[in-house]
Amino acid sequence: MNIILIPIVLPLVTALALLLICEKTKYLKELLAIGAAAVSLLAAASIFLLPVQSLSCAWLGGGITFTLVADNLSAFLLLAVSLFSLAISVFSSSNPNKGPAKWFFFNLLMTQGFAAGAALADNMLAMLFFWEGLLVFLYTFIALSQNNHAARRTAMKAFLINAATDLALLAGVTITAYIAGTMSMSEISHNKLTLDYGWSIFAYVLLLIGAVSKAGAFPFHTWIPDAATDSSAAFMAYVPAAIDKLLGIYFLARASIYLFTLNGTMQLVLMTLGAVTILVAVMMAFVQKDYKRLLSYHAVSQTGYMILGIGTLNPIGIAGGLFHMINHATYKSCLFMTSGSVERQAGTTDLSKLGGLFRAMPITGLCFLIAAAAISGIAPLNGFFSKELVYKGTLDTGYTVFFLAAELGSFLTLASFLKLGHSVFFGERPENLKDTKEAPFSMLLPMLTLAGICVAFGFGARLPTEWLISPALTGMGVSHPTLSGFHFDKLYFVSVIVILAAVMNHMIGLALGGGKASKSSDHIHYAPVLKETYAMAERRVFDLYEVLMDRVVPAVSLALFKVDRFFDWALDTVPSSLGGFFGGTSRSFHNGSYPLYMALTLACAAVYILLAGGLK
Amino acid sequence: MDKGLLAYLLIPLLSAVIIPFASRNRPKLADILANVTLLAGLANLAWLALRPSVIAGGFADIPGDGLALLLVGAVYLVALCVTFFSAWFIGEGLPNRAAYYSLILVSVSAMCGVVTSTDFFTLYVFIEVLAVTSFALITTDDSGAGLEGALKYFFLTFPASALIIIGIAVMMLSLGNLSFESLRFFMASDLPAGPVTFGAALMLLGFIIKAGVVPFHTWAPDAYQGAYAPVSAHLAGIVTKISGVYAIIKMATLLRFFDGRAQALSEMLMFLGLLSIVVGALAALKQKDLKRMLAFSSISQVGYIVLAAGLGTPLAIMGAVFHLINHATFKTVLFLNSASVEKSAGTTDMDKLGGLEHTMPWTSWTSIVALLSTAGVPPLSGFWSKLIIILALWEAGLKGYAVLALLFSIVTLAYFMMMQKKVFFGKKTPASESSPEVCAPLLAPVVLMSAVIVALGLLFPYFYTYVRMVAERILL
Repeated sequence: MNIILIPIVLPLVTALALLLICEKTKYLKELLAIGAAAVSLLAAASIFLLPVQSLSCAWLGGGITFTLVADNLSAFLLLAVSLFSLAISVFSSSNPNKGPAKWFFFNLLMTQGFAAGAALADNMLAMLFFWEGLLVFLYTFIALSQNNHAARRTAMKAFLINAATDLALLAGVTITAYIAGTMSMSEISHNKLTLDYGWSIFAYVLLLIGAVSKAGAFPFHTWIPDAATDSSAAFMAYVPAAIDKLLGIYFLARASIYLFTLNGTMQLVLMTLGAVTILVAVMMAFVQKDYKRLLSYHAVSQTGYMILGIGTLNPIGIAGGLFHMINHATYKSCLFMTSGSVERQAGTTDLSKLGGLFRAMPITGLCFLIAAAAISGIAPLNGFFSKELVYKGTLDTGYTVFFLAAELGSFLTLASFLKLGHSVFFGERPENLKDTKEAPFSMLLPMLTLAGICVAFGFGARLPTEWLISPALTGMGVSHPTLSGFHFDKLYFVSVIVILAAVMNHMIGLALGGGKASKSSDHIHYAPVLKETYAMAERRVFDLYEVLMDRVVPAVSLALFKVDRFFDWALDTVPSSLGGFFGGTSRSFHNGSYPLYMALTLACAAVYILLAGGLK
Repeated sequence: MDKGLLAYLLIPLLSAVIIPFASRNRPKLADILANVTLLAGLANLAWLALRPSVIAGGFADIPGDGLALLLVGAVYLVALCVTFFSAWFIGEGLPNRAAYYSLILVSVSAMCGVVTSTDFFTLYVFIEVLAVTSFALITTDDSGAGLEGALKYFFLTFPASALIIIGIAVMMLSLGNLSFESLRFFMASDLPAGPVTFGAALMLLGFIIKAGVVPFHTWAPDAYQGAYAPVSAHLAGIVTKISGVYAIIKMATLLRFFDGRAQALSEMLMFLGLLSIVVGALAALKQKDLKRMLAFSSISQVGYIVLAAGLGTPLAIMGAVFHLINHATFKTVLFLNSASVEKSAGTTDMDKLGGLEHTMPWTSWTSIVALLSTAGVPPLSGFWSKLIIILALWEAGLKGYAVLALLFSIVTLAYFMMMQKKVFFGKKTPASESSPEVCAPLLAPVVLMSAVIVALGLLFPYFYTYVRMVAERILL
């Protein structure tokens, strides 16, 4: 068997096997899931180290070739997917807040298998197959994480948003394949498509919608904050924080760099999308009062940097986008894990009820500090380097406004993490949290691993850029200069200014909020104009899905109901009344009167004879 | 006459003569003689047509045109069901038991004569014999309704006999010969049709009246409703089909409708067929009496056969023959079931009946099989014949006819479902409170016929081979 199949088939088979295991068994399901994830990781590592692998066989009656290719980018992505699967399955093994264990691991492994398939697929139809498979398990993952109505509603929301955008992707893939004459991405890349005419622009925009929606960018992000409250921390750490970002940005890079040659207009579109996503989401994140919900808005916001980086279309920006993708997955997964750990130990994720936990949970707190510093772009952690690359790429395009927007986002990110860290881990500990203990080792281990990666990728930024990013760029045919290295230039000073500004903002917020860390964002939250805007956002006025569901869907369903009633009437009442009328007439005609019958017979016979005799 | 099948005509006639003498002192002997005669004939036919070697050879060994054999088989099958049913159905006190069986056997031999005759005059003689036996059979029990039905049948079909004899006269004058073959050769030649077609048209009108096609159907509901219960099954199942519908199919093949020699006649026949389908189905929707509803349903189903015969293409003739056989099977089941219901519950008024499926499950289930077959639900036999007819219409470019035929097939299902719901489903009514299932011998014929319906549907490929062989032989 080709080694390339192991990361896809093994998780799927294990997931199905899990369903056969009794719910009451202890450790067996966890061990099986961890084992499958570990073996997949080993296989992914060996695929990564080996030269380019591929597998291809006839599919769908021979008309389409099912091709898996592990080129540099795909192998890198596969490695990341497998790594996060292993980390999350270890993390969840003793976490009770994840719903039924059997279904959690089933969904986790199914997601892993399909994500691996989507990463490796070279044929766009095969990629779509795996991509849509993920959609199914996205739904079940959320719906089964908590046994309540809200979870099912959010699952439906996530499903519908992603289903709509997946349809766009499907249409995009179809048009692209039609224009290019092939479904194979590697074949298309030899002769890239250009955006010179309408259909190819349309195709690219559809692919773009599919990709950024998967990554959770504005305006397709609205299910992520809801999922943060209605599902488990482990799910958040796995799917929206890691897998979705990896796949979405991966395919965005494939579409924008590998399949199409973009022009200036599309570059502007992408960069605007990135900047808007950064700002809108971070503004929302800043004022959140729930640990997981705040993190979830950041998960959206950080996507903006990746899109911005890829949208620059220059090698440094693209490298920054991809580097930021893997960095974000690392620290955001770690942050969600700390939230899961706090939720398990303290019983809540409400910021106003938490505080001073650093002393009780030092290792969780340490991991949080590292990951928060990394996401805020504090040197020399990994987030700093990837953001620097994005900034540099943005400045190289000459659009300073996007650079400023990104820096503003960075400022608000740091400010909100100061608020979050201060409210959870520092300050005064509430009375009911006096006995809080550190989380178990199985939760700490993956957190520490990911925090360690944050540090390692920061201090040794040369390693990931040279081993992971450069080969990926080369694989996509992008030439690039040296990417790593700490530059003591003006960008560094800008970052220092941003840090100072954020700290000052936090001080002001604390002073205005009466010393309560959880209220340190109130001076911005309740500022004029912003207050009303936030209030509208809380009422979900800007949430396209909710607006559709509240306004459009009832009207459309009412109209459809009326149409249905009409057809019902037309199919039911009309024939039965017509049948009744003719049947009744006919019945009253057949009254048994012999003269009438005889007259009818003779008259009709006469007409028949006249007609048969040639009368026309 | 087709000499090969003469025995099937003569032996029942012989039995019919013997029965009154043999059963003078032992009335039960009449039942036995009649049943044994028909069973022996049927076994003989099965040996002739259903040997594995014959089936494997694609029925090429069948003598004659094949149609006669098939119809003789249907006649014997239905008549056997009716006589077997009657043996247990007839009350002990019925005085003319021997006459009843004699009349049935005479009608069987008359029907065999109709299907084996090869010239118009013989055909006419046997049709008249059949008509006379039918009048007598309708009045088997001396209720007023039977007498009224018989008289209406006699007087309203009297013009048919007159028209047939006039038609024969016209044909004799213009063609000089009355054999089927001479008419066939004449129609195949290029000679101007003129009076020959007119004579044929008159005869055709006679057969249309005998078949009960709208608007000449008015005798049918009263005759079927008034007749003694097993006689209704005999009449509706086979007698009127042989005396009218078979003759129409025969005329359609002789007049070569498919090559357009008698275009006007063909169109008129198709129109009458469609009219029958429509009027029969619509009238059946609103009937209150079970037997009367079945009579209208019979009119509607005859419409399908006449429509296909009027079209006259080989495929349509196949459909017509197949539907004729199917109609014999399912209409016999339904009429015999109505007789069972009448015997058990004492009425056939559908408003007074209800919930009989609990006490009469066999009757209910065989009715369902038969009605689904009538409505053309796959995989029962009725589905295939209607499918062939509708396909033939569509192929000939008559899309409007095809769509209407399909649509009224749904109406068929509608009125039968209403019947089933009123009589067998729902809550029990006072009339059906004390109505036990009829005894096993009464169920045997309907179960046998239901089995035939299912078997014809499932073994359709074999039957199709046979019917195609028939269509090829009678049209070439």
